[in-house]
Amino acid sequence: MLKEKKDTDVGRKNGTETNVKKAPFGNSISVKRADLFYGDFHALKNISIEIPSNRITAFIGPSGCGKSTFLKCFNRMNDLVEGCRISGEFRIGDVDIYSDATDVNELRKNVGMVFQKPNPFPMSVYDNIAYGPRTFGVRKRSQLDEIVERSLTQAAMWDELKDRLNKSALGLSGGQQQRLCIARALAVQPQIILMDEPTSALDPISTGKIEDLCSQLKEQVTVVIVTHNMQQAVRISDKTAFFLLGDLVEYGDTEKMFTMPHDKRTEDYITGRFG
Amino acid sequence: MVSAKVKETLSKVLFTAAAIICIVAVVTIFVFIVAKSIPALSKIGVFDFIFGDVWRPDKEDVYDQAINGKYGILPMIVGSIFSTVGAIIVGGVLGFFTAVFLARFSSPKVKKIFGTVINLLAGIPSVVYGFFGMYVMIPLFSGISPTADGSGLLVTSLVLGIMILPTVVALSKTSLEAVPQSYYEGARALGARHEQAVFRTVVPAAKSGITASVILGVGRAIGETMAVIMIAGNSPEYPDGLFGSFRTLTANIVLEMGYAGEVQMGALLSTGVILLIFIAIINLLFGLVMSDRKQHGSGRRHLREIKYDFSKAGKVLSWVTAGIVAVVLVLIIGFVFIKGIPHITPQLLFSDYKYGGEPSIGPAIVATLMLIVISILIAVPLGIATAVYLNEYTRRGSRMVKIVRSAIDVLSGIPSIVYGLFGALTFVVWFGNTTSILAGGFTVSIMLLPVVVRSTEESLKSVPDSFREGSLALGAGKVRTIFKVVLPSALPGIFSAIILAVGRVVSETAPLIWTMGSVIQPMPTGFLGGGATLAVALYALSNEYRYMNEAYATACVLMIIVLALNTAAGIIAYRLQRKLQGEKNVKRKKRY
Ligand SMILES: Nc1ncnc2c1ncn2[C@@H]1O[C@H](COP(=O)(O)OP(=O)(O)OP(=O)(O)O)[C@@H](O)[C@H]1O
Ligand SMILES: [Mg+2]
Repeated sequence: MLKEKKDTDVGRKNGTETNVKKAPFGNSISVKRADLFYGDFHALKNISIEIPSNRITAFIGPSGCGKSTFLKCFNRMNDLVEGCRISGEFRIGDVDIYSDATDVNELRKNVGMVFQKPNPFPMSVYDNIAYGPRTFGVRKRSQLDEIVERSLTQAAMWDELKDRLNKSALGLSGGQQQRLCIARALAVQPQIILMDEPTSALDPISTGKIEDLCSQLKEQVTVVIVTHNMQQAVRISDKTAFFLLGDLVEYGDTEKMFTMPHDKRTEDYITGRFG
Repeated sequence: MVSAKVKETLSKVLFTAAAIICIVAVVTIFVFIVAKSIPALSKIGVFDFIFGDVWRPDKEDVYDQAINGKYGILPMIVGSIFSTVGAIIVGGVLGFFTAVFLARFSSPKVKKIFGTVINLLAGIPSVVYGFFGMYVMIPLFSGISPTADGSGLLVTSLVLGIMILPTVVALSKTSLEAVPQSYYEGARALGARHEQAVFRTVVPAAKSGITASVILGVGRAIGETMAVIMIAGNSPEYPDGLFGSFRTLTANIVLEMGYAGEVQMGALLSTGVILLIFIAIINLLFGLVMSDRKQHGSGRRHLREIKYDFSKAGKVLSWVTAGIVAVVLVLIIGFVFIKGIPHITPQLLFSDYKYGGEPSIGPAIVATLMLIVISILIAVPLGIATAVYLNEYTRRGSRMVKIVRSAIDVLSGIPSIVYGLFGALTFVVWFGNTTSILAGGFTVSIMLLPVVVRSTEESLKSVPDSFREGSLALGAGKVRTIFKVVLPSALPGIFSAIILAVGRVVSETAPLIWTMGSVIQPMPTGFLGGGATLAVALYALSNEYRYMNEAYATACVLMIIVLALNTAAGIIAYRLQRKLQGEKNVKRKKRY
């Protein structure tokens, strides 16, 4: 905790406009009546959801139902998609993230993302972790050292990697690469981390490590995870949202949802009758 | 500290500006050449210009008087067409069979070595080919020539044929390899022998790609200048038999540009226009063949049954032509090296040159380096910025992308002598009305743009989108993403593009003669002074039979530099790729 405090202090000292304008992002997500179109295709239909802070929320549903699309709304990665139109209200904490006053980059600093395929940059382990902090103006080596150590420790891989910080990140195994990407996201101390099927390309052991990591992380951050693996949702998530063809069919406590689903379609899906 | 928003906007403006400069360059060149040719054409008469068969310029001709000279270029048009047809007969046939051999008859090892060597052939400066024709082939043919002079249509066709060989082989080979293996297997399953399957099934399926390769070869042959002026004879007459002296359109421009009168210069510009029309037609044909290919897929089209079975003869021919090509390769490279290496002396390489003294290429080496500096300084940033604009700032398929891309295509198709013509009338005039390294550098850098833009774009495309997403998701802006993640990942490709561009500068001759200097000169005094590059020096030396040994040595040096650059480009790209891809053992695991 003490370390963390120090980091934010330092951030302020180094601060430029980015820090001055810093929006008071919180760590809960609230969405009201969201619709999303890819061109003419209606990908998300009138979705409202409240995602609590410091919990793990899982998005499940068959392929193409819009889980990734919805997830990417929270850090506005959909802005990069041509012909993508979004309406409705998206709030993180109290901030309307689609308002003109919101700085997208600042938003993405606070809402980190981990992708399905590990995507470390073709740089050293150290530079990968330091990429985010450097983006936001941290230049001093000692501070960066500290951040790298803290982030890797948080991601439970400091011992594994402390001797190869200067080796290329692309030389790591797939599982290590994915955890490195989590550490990289943690380096800028986000409030929320979005994970889009982070384990689907990994072996069972690496998957286990990442699941453990998620459970540890929720003390500091809110985690939203998309998964195809029902067992995984049960194992790690507190809340689950089930999507089907762009609709949010059911949302609630994971335990309840998997034992007593309200909706027939949810039941069919979790008992493996379709999807 | 500039705010992030300003930085983003500024960068976007700069990248866009680079792309716009490329468009402006193309438009300027065209408008300039066409506009400047109009007075001469109206004075001479379009019909008399194109269909006149006497070319007898008069330096005293001016636009506001009756002209005394005659400016008919039909002989040159015929000369260009004949030599190109000759080149296609030689290079097309050799290239086709060599490609078939490489794609379907050779062992993988032979294929790799042979393929590499043929690619090297593409890098050899055209002035070296001209030199080879002049010093090796012309004496060879002089024995059988009725005039006892071996120069003319035959030698020109042969040399041009060899020069277009790499173009034909590369594209034909690719399209032969792209034919689905199932075609071949289907034929074999019906009992066809290997060569039957190849010649009756695979080759017809690759037809459009092979046609396209030949059309590209035509473009290269018709635009060639230096090799031609060294061996064609150059009298402005119709080619009279295989050994008759003749002149091509390109030769016409370079031969008379240096001392042209007013109307004469206009006539040369008009010659450039005719040349551009030829190139436009060729590009159009190429586009047609390629779009046809895309529509039908490389092989899904209905194949006509071939009545006669030439496959046996085809197989023999493939082996024979491959053999011939190999011998020619060894001959060109070997001959120049054997004759040249003993004469590469420190005196030749490093001493300064005094007018009237013994030739030395020290100044030429320095001038070449200076030219490289200028042209790379201009072309590389501009080219990279344009590529970044195309790949990072535009939607795929947007109109702006199409315009910029066709501008780049057009730039790469313009014959180098037309650049020379443009440069001589613009840059030379700007920079003190005299040939200078600066003027040469500006001229060459426009020519380099397509090379840099294309290969940078290729390597930007090969950077996975996940890198970009990763960076953006961490809150980095577009500029930071481009400079810290995308460009560094594309570095190997960009690096080898730069080296290739350097190779191109070293090889160019035609556009430099009248922009930078055509005779061997003492050490350059500065960028505003003139100088001959190594390639130009070779041209100058070749014309003086007194300095044959020095000419051989220069050709040798030139070839060593170009070959070294091409090899270095490959190695650097490979090394950096490896470094970027992580530790060695990881790479090895993947490869074996
Ligand atoms: N960029 C895009 N342009 C157009 N349509 C898109 C785009 N991205 C996604 N879609 C469509 O939107 C729908 C939802 O896609 P999304 O990727 O969000 O599904 P998903 O639930 O994440 O599926 P998966 O489990 O396969 O990852 C799909 O029908 C998909 O085809
Ligand atoms: Mg998805």
